[in-house]
Amino acid sequence: MPENKNKVNVNVEPARVSVGEDAYTPLVDIYENADGTTVLVAEVPGAKQESIDIRVDKGVLTLMADGRRPEPDESFSRTYTGFVGGEYFRAFAISDEVDRDAIQASLQDGLLVITLPRAAAAKTRKIEIS
Amino acid sequence: MATFRWPNGWDPLAGFRTMQRELEKLSGRTVGAARGIGGGVYPPVNVLIGLGEIIVECEVAGMNRDELDLSITGETLKITGTKKPATQEPAEGESACRYHRRERGMGDFSRTIVLPEKVDADRISASLETGILTIRLPKFETVAPRHIEVS
Repeated sequence: MPENKNKVNVNVEPARVSVGEDAYTPLVDIYENADGTTVLVAEVPGAKQESIDIRVDKGVLTLMADGRRPEPDESFSRTYTGFVGGEYFRAFAISDEVDRDAIQASLQDGLLVITLPRAAAAKTRKIEIS
Repeated sequence: MATFRWPNGWDPLAGFRTMQRELEKLSGRTVGAARGIGGGVYPPVNVLIGLGEIIVECEVAGMNRDELDLSITGETLKITGTKKPATQEPAEGESACRYHRRERGMGDFSRTIVLPEKVDADRISASLETGILTIRLPKFETVAPRHIEVS
């Protein structure tokens, strides 16, 4: 009963609320601009825009992306494999100074750029003596 | 080379891997905890050989068309490019940005791939999508296998 066996496999597999056990850790650059905006640049080659999931919860920014690509036609043989597509996962603790509602992200050429502006309340403020 | 993935993300050894990781955590090792993709400035390549064509894939996240250069001489394919930093050089009077973390790397790279057979250089096509450069190198018609009808 190959069909039944298949079904068991599907049921056994835990709900994929997150990425698999062997997700890639994307390489990142994090820098802060002069105006206090933090920019996070992550390499997610192979990932399409609709597969990217960025969440901020309790001071943790999680980044998930799916860079899996369809397997080549069976007539192709892999002569050399330097990389394979996979899922990406990485989490970052973000400062309280970041304005959660103003976080923006863009994707181009496999590069995900997340800008985390500093909240107005966290900016340096001069206090006048009254 | 030793990368084999089960289709559809199904991994029969996931349980064992979790166990291995837990044990490594106990012994204070972090081996295998993080898998990275890409080698900084040295981009990994895949070579796939089909019946009628050879496909070379190259992971070049963050690079655009102008920063890449492809050339072919005989059976030698050369991919050169420049990986630029994510930030622009600060303009006059502006203060530079401050890096917290820098993993991506930057600089020039060059990769040379010697193809196993001759390809038709005039019909080579290359596309760049989601940070992956795909080069399709069609073999010569005479090299490609041809079906022969028995008359």
